[in-house]
Amino acid sequence: MTIKPNAAEASTGQPRRFRPLRSVDARQIAGLAMAIIALAVVMQVNYPVFLTPFNIEIMSVNFVAEAIIALGMTIVIITGGIDLSVAAVMPFAAILFGLALNAGIPLAIAIVLVLAAAATVGFLNASMTNAFRVHPFIATLAMLLTLRGVNLVLTGGSTVSGFRRTTAFLGQGYVLGVPVSIAVFLVLAVLFAYLLANQSFFRRAYFVGGNKHSARLSGINVERYLVFVYMTSAVLAGIAGILVASQYGAASNGYGQNLELRVITSVVIGGASLFGGTGSILGSVLGVVFLGMIYNAFDMLGVSTYWKDVVIGCLLLVAVFISEYLKRRQARA
Amino acid sequence: MTPLLRVEGISKTFVGNRVLDDVTFEVDGGEIHAVVGENGAGKSTLIKIIGSIYQADTGSLMLDGRAASFASPAEAMRSGIAIVHQELSLVPNLTVAQNIFIGNEPRGPLGIIDWRGLNRRASELLRRMGALVDPTVLVGELSVGTQQIIEIAKALALDAKVIILDEPTSSLSETEVDLLYGLLDDLRRKGLGIVFISHKLGEVFRLADRVSVLRDGRLVGTKRVSETTTAEVIHMMVGRHIADLYPGKSTRIGEVLLEVKDFSCPPYRRPVSFELRRGEILGFAGLVGAGRTELARALFGAAPHDGGTVMLEGRVLDVRSPRSAIEQGIAYLTEDRKTLGLFLDEPIHRNVVSASLKRFTSPNGVLRTGAIRAEAKSWVANLDIRPPNVDAEVINLSGGNQQKTLLAKWLCARPRILIVDEPTRGVDVGAKAHIHQELRDLTDQGIGIIVISSDLPEVLGLSDRVIVFHEGELAATLAGAEATQEKVMSYAAR
Repeated sequence: MTIKPNAAEASTGQPRRFRPLRSVDARQIAGLAMAIIALAVVMQVNYPVFLTPFNIEIMSVNFVAEAIIALGMTIVIITGGIDLSVAAVMPFAAILFGLALNAGIPLAIAIVLVLAAAATVGFLNASMTNAFRVHPFIATLAMLLTLRGVNLVLTGGSTVSGFRRTTAFLGQGYVLGVPVSIAVFLVLAVLFAYLLANQSFFRRAYFVGGNKHSARLSGINVERYLVFVYMTSAVLAGIAGILVASQYGAASNGYGQNLELRVITSVVIGGASLFGGTGSILGSVLGVVFLGMIYNAFDMLGVSTYWKDVVIGCLLLVAVFISEYLKRRQARA
Repeated sequence: MTPLLRVEGISKTFVGNRVLDDVTFEVDGGEIHAVVGENGAGKSTLIKIIGSIYQADTGSLMLDGRAASFASPAEAMRSGIAIVHQELSLVPNLTVAQNIFIGNEPRGPLGIIDWRGLNRRASELLRRMGALVDPTVLVGELSVGTQQIIEIAKALALDAKVIILDEPTSSLSETEVDLLYGLLDDLRRKGLGIVFISHKLGEVFRLADRVSVLRDGRLVGTKRVSETTTAEVIHMMVGRHIADLYPGKSTRIGEVLLEVKDFSCPPYRRPVSFELRRGEILGFAGLVGAGRTELARALFGAAPHDGGTVMLEGRVLDVRSPRSAIEQGIAYLTEDRKTLGLFLDEPIHRNVVSASLKRFTSPNGVLRTGAIRAEAKSWVANLDIRPPNVDAEVINLSGGNQQKTLLAKWLCARPRILIVDEPTRGVDVGAKAHIHQELRDLTDQGIGIIVISSDLPEVLGLSDRVIVFHEGELAATLAGAEATQEKVMSYAAR
């Protein structure tokens, strides 16, 4: 017996070469890359300082926290969840880090302690979602609000400083000519991109987000997986917090205002769907780069900051519209 | 010969409700064993216990002559018991190969997936099954029938010895059904044990070697298909004789009620014209994808139309949305009652009035709860909806009672024309006969009815006249004795 596929399923009988980027995603990512190049070219022609190493470094350092947090957010969104608490975890980690160092705790131990605290926050996020069956939006929103309060309590509303010397390398150092924070991001990005594309445990995120029911019946412990995912997201936010604190030599509860929305915007511009099941690290990183360049361009053009959000909001709509359009066209083809 | 799989003395109670009572059931290698029974008879619970999705209260399971017990569905799967669920459980935005080896990918050190090996093994497996499907295509792009094949491939990838299918053909087109039958036949020849749950006795008799009948959680009996008849199996299922599944034909066909003229809507290539007379049940026959549902949705204003006129009792209608269709007397019972028809988490009474809220709203905009409950109560009594409790949430009702609730919702809207799409899909024999009789009673009261069904005997049994659709065209209109299964198929499957 032979099962004849319909036109959409036509096959040569030979498996096609593996394509790590499936067609729609690949097109969206290519489009985003082109938009980035176009923006860079336009800015460079009008403002020759745009692509100087100095400006690139400024852009990178300003957005490295977002970029690192976007890695975790990508996995969270692929599983069909969302993590709003990162905007509070980042300053929380920065503050803890500062307090620990000021208390005389050695750098390495301080880092471990801070990341453990961040991981605990992620664990609580996932546990709330699992135990009470509340949507992660609510669980992580509650965490965001609570933790902001905790941050205020910890700092008494003022800034924690006085540890600049201990963190000189983390904050101002270079590795192979690259600022340490950027180097950390690059290593993490490559690692996560590779794992999420090729490693069976990380790949489960796509099963969980694509069809929770199916994932469960296929022997995946969805609840435990979500614990892993939210802990990863929180730890990455913790790393971002440590790097930011080191950079400024200070920690304040004011860090990370609206950061969660900027990160989610980047991830969605990068092709992830909030319904889960789609998204990639490369796309999200390009999303952060694009957003970072837009902000930087605004600064150079001297446009009022009030307009930034208007434009970013419109860009998000355009990106989602293009992504939906591509998907529908593919479905019809 | 030891059976491949045997469950003995299985009982299961849910919140004081005995769903399975001392059921013993077995399947041999190289056998297709059908399980039939009305909704709520315990079929799904039985297979969920076999697949360890539920744990039985008492009873034992033997696989290959050895006692076995599994703590989780994953464990049962690894031991060779695979379930193909009624609601397909594939991940749409992953490829065929990724779905087949979900959580079970060929991998190297550190769990790095071997993509080449994955695609190669998937394509080998599909080739052995005779399915020419590209393993790198996204599952969401495949037809439901092919997805069903992928589900089975998933089971085979785990080296399943027993494959359990829960109503695998309920949403397949005729050609897809044939493909599936061929595949199951192949697997039987290879010595696998296949358990097959179905509502369609036709396919049970065509495909299965043995049939087991469940009723009210008990096993009524197991018969060799070659030694029994449809009538006997139905009798075992319902515990009584159903004299006739279909009511009589109309005796008083009157004047034209609905006239559709040069009506065009996607995917129709040519405008469609037809009429429906008072007292008549008009059947829409055709294969899945012939465009019957699309036409119904366009008439109901749920899909756009490009032109043509619709006249009801001589008045030209202007239908632009479901809301305006309801106001002008047209109702459409969707084929997809769970997602499009009912509010599953709401009680019966809110569902019943959901298409006629205006009538139950007082002048100052407050819902008249008392009137709503009274209305719902009368429908529950009228249609024999069980449990007879208007506060019961619809999600807890059986398929047949959900369908009756959907019918009540639309009758409550007092339509002149009722279009019913797959009115008895996933509905047991008893409720089926009841719904059919109800439709006939409605035409006797002067309501015009259009029936869309992929169950050909149903269309023929119910309708006074049948229109056959074929790939977006009205292919033929057949009346009375002209409308035979062969004739309809000759137009539908040209």
